[in-house]
Amino acid sequence: MSRSGRTGLLALVAILLVLPLPLTPNLVNAAIKMMIAGLFALSFSLAMGQAGMLSFGHSAYYGLGAFATLHLMKAVEGHLVAWPTPLLPLAGAAVGLFFGLVFGWLATQRTGVYFAMVTLALAELLFTLAPTWNSVFGGESGISTMRMNSWAIDFATDTGVYYLTLAWVALSTWCLWAFTRTPMGRLALAVRENEHRVRFLGFNTHGARTVIFAISTMFTGVAGALLAIANEATNYTIFSAQASANVVLQTFIGGAGTFFGPALGAAIMTFFARVTSDLTRSWLLYQGLVFVLVMLFVPDGIGGLISLHARRLRATAVRHLTLPYLLCLVVGLLLLAGVVFTVESVHVVLSDAYAVLRRGNGGALVPYTLFGRKFDPVSPWTWAIPVGSIAAGAALLPLARRLTRRGWSQALLETTA
Amino acid sequence: MSPAAPGGSVLVLRDLHKSFGATAIIRGVDLEVKRGQRHGLIGPNGAGKSTLFNLISGHYVPSAGEIFLNDHPIAGLTPHAINRRGLSRSFQITNLFPRMSVAENLRISVMGRHHHRFTLFRPVSRLTRVAEEVDEYLEKLRLTRRRDDPAGALAYSEQRTLEIGMALATDPEILLLDEPTGGMSREESAYTVALIRTVTEGKTLLVVEHDMNVVFTLCDQLSVLVYGEIIASGRPETVRANREVQQAYLGEEVA
Repeated sequence: MSRSGRTGLLALVAILLVLPLPLTPNLVNAAIKMMIAGLFALSFSLAMGQAGMLSFGHSAYYGLGAFATLHLMKAVEGHLVAWPTPLLPLAGAAVGLFFGLVFGWLATQRTGVYFAMVTLALAELLFTLAPTWNSVFGGESGISTMRMNSWAIDFATDTGVYYLTLAWVALSTWCLWAFTRTPMGRLALAVRENEHRVRFLGFNTHGARTVIFAISTMFTGVAGALLAIANEATNYTIFSAQASANVVLQTFIGGAGTFFGPALGAAIMTFFARVTSDLTRSWLLYQGLVFVLVMLFVPDGIGGLISLHARRLRATAVRHLTLPYLLCLVVGLLLLAGVVFTVESVHVVLSDAYAVLRRGNGGALVPYTLFGRKFDPVSPWTWAIPVGSIAAGAALLPLARRLTRRGWSQALLETTA
Repeated sequence: MSPAAPGGSVLVLRDLHKSFGATAIIRGVDLEVKRGQRHGLIGPNGAGKSTLFNLISGHYVPSAGEIFLNDHPIAGLTPHAINRRGLSRSFQITNLFPRMSVAENLRISVMGRHHHRFTLFRPVSRLTRVAEEVDEYLEKLRLTRRRDDPAGALAYSEQRTLEIGMALATDPEILLLDEPTGGMSREESAYTVALIRTVTEGKTLLVVEHDMNVVFTLCDQLSVLVYGEIIASGRPETVRANREVQQAYLGEEVA
């Protein structure tokens, strides 16, 4: 790792260490969920990014890790075993590893689409099985329990959980990063690049893929365990295909080709979902939009974008890009404003509440309320808002692109000079 | 099963058959490659040379017949098991890890032989013996100055060299080369043949090749495969003089 990379990482750890101090409990909880999502994405991308195994069923190991941890917590609560709370994630790791080996051995018999389908099927199996299996998965309502204080640490508040999560996420991230440096980690890359050839160099690639998959699911199990500790409960929906798809999307948004990108993507998208789901019911639409836009215009993801700047440009040369990027931001905000206004207006106008309102007024298109203001759906002035803001954004777009291009060539020139 | 292959032979094929559906591609091949031999395998297009290589290296399972490597039957074993028993092959179509560096390509080959197949608790940078050996191969293959370039960025002939080098770096007892100079210009081909001669010093070779010049410079034993059968086998000059071979394959080129 480069020196600037190491400095950045140390700064990040330092920030994370003091972060809970200024945050509200709600935001501390958000930070916990972001770190867990980050670890989930990192562990997933070990299989996906490093070894090229696109798993569509990683929620299985996330869920199994969570359920195993909850059972252990219940046993501790019932004084059946004495197990310190900070070591609970080991249960998730063990279960993740075990099922990763068993399911992985099956799934890695195939590659590509077939592999993805087998992993999906195995996760769906759990999703269907869990609500009917009361003793293990607690039926439809799931299972819940309480965190115990141990090692003189208070786990009653989120602050204790925050530091527990941070410690485990940091340790796991280090392990996952170290893995890329081991012979096995290099072999994973070779398997992704050309599995056929690896076989003729004396490696049992099925065995290798099974082990790599199991290492990935082991850390997914840790992430699931951390979620169980944070929420003190879970149910069968943790196995859903949507949970598996989420981590795939987050990894791609973050950049599957970089090591830290997936964690960044997962953290950002988790925060995004948390904020937008409180504000609007169309938040899934926006999430999908983000994914489509990233795939279309930044296929290497956020991490890829950052590493492009870090690789190609000297730090001082980035100043040439400040102004162009600010303009790009303005363009983005204008387009966004237009889209959001349209989507939210349509949402309100098509809602049941608005239908009731219309019926009360003899079916007329009465003004609707959005962002605390009244808008008249038949007035051209209302529609001038999104049309105007999108038109302004579109008009500035060529300029933003030109300035960005010029900024880049200046920055490159300064870097090479 | 008691292997009955005669001593001194590294590789023995006995009445080997391979059919795809109703189509018989290999129709009873007997072949012996003795230790230290540089055995050339020639034949017209579609004779089954590549199929034969795929059978020997474990890519295909024979329909019938036997393959012995050092007196042990290997027919039907997986490619990695055959490789660990001392047989390595290169590919006709370049088959590398294109986005990994040249040194890393070789390292994967060397790593396996040093029993670092599934090593998890040691960084690869500390495997000094592996690193030294990679450097030696880079030097031998004259690829040292390109060690950190991605394999996919190499020139065609360099990729071919790396291809052979990777097969060689698993340190096999017998090396199968599938058209090592295919697609090369005359100069590149001459360079590569000379390189193969040095890097495979003392190794047993089985080479499929189209270019007669290459075969006659590189090999001391020659077999001719036509329509899935070996029609002649022996010293190159003897085979060249064989009338049947001339008719079937060499044609006017040699006559």
